[in-house]
Amino acid sequence: MSFAERTLWLQVAALVAVYGWFFSAVVPGHGQDIAPDQVVLFVIAAVALAAIMAVGLSILAIVARRDTTPDERDRLYALLGTRNGAFALGVAVFVALVTGVAVAGNFAFLNVLLAGWVVAQLVGVGSTIVLYRRGT
Amino acid sequence: MGKRRGRLTNGVRHLREQHAGMSQQELADRVGVSRQTINSIEANKYSPSLEVAFLIAGVFERKVDDVFTYSTS
Repeated sequence: MSFAERTLWLQVAALVAVYGWFFSAVVPGHGQDIAPDQVVLFVIAAVALAAIMAVGLSILAIVARRDTTPDERDRLYALLGTRNGAFALGVAVFVALVTGVAVAGNFAFLNVLLAGWVVAQLVGVGSTIVLYRRGT
Repeated sequence: MGKRRGRLTNGVRHLREQHAGMSQQELADRVGVSRQTINSIEANKYSPSLEVAFLIAGVFERKVDDVFTYSTS
């Protein structure tokens, strides 16, 4: 498995772990609007994701030992994955807008928007992993 | 305009074995891609750019169309 593919698996694991924890902590018993403690959890999640990725990428780069510069296949697959992720993000924004109109308060709108971003990231990264596994 | 899709196959693995059992890593280093990319090319899972195709052919001192074959069916 190449360095680029390992970093994608790291992203999937980090996104699922961090935002799985975040939504399981925030969604049960929520009110109509975002509470201050939920904002704190959001900041903790963002920092945790950045920290996991920084440490994880450093470890993967050390383990890889060889040149970790992406080659043409890595760049092509990254572009195709980003395209799929962008499409998913567009759909997610639309769903969030509909939620914002249909549901009172800002909790549903903001969390659907955040969940949509997470799903879009997973779609982009996941489709890139599929390209590595199955080829073009 | 209709989309025409063929299939690009190659004899990279065969040529590599003919060249004193050159490893995928050695070929990858000479071409400037990862070993996994060479593996994907050999398995016909990834079609390389023209530049990489020329570089691979150059390593084996062959023409590109001696190494890569494009077939439509």
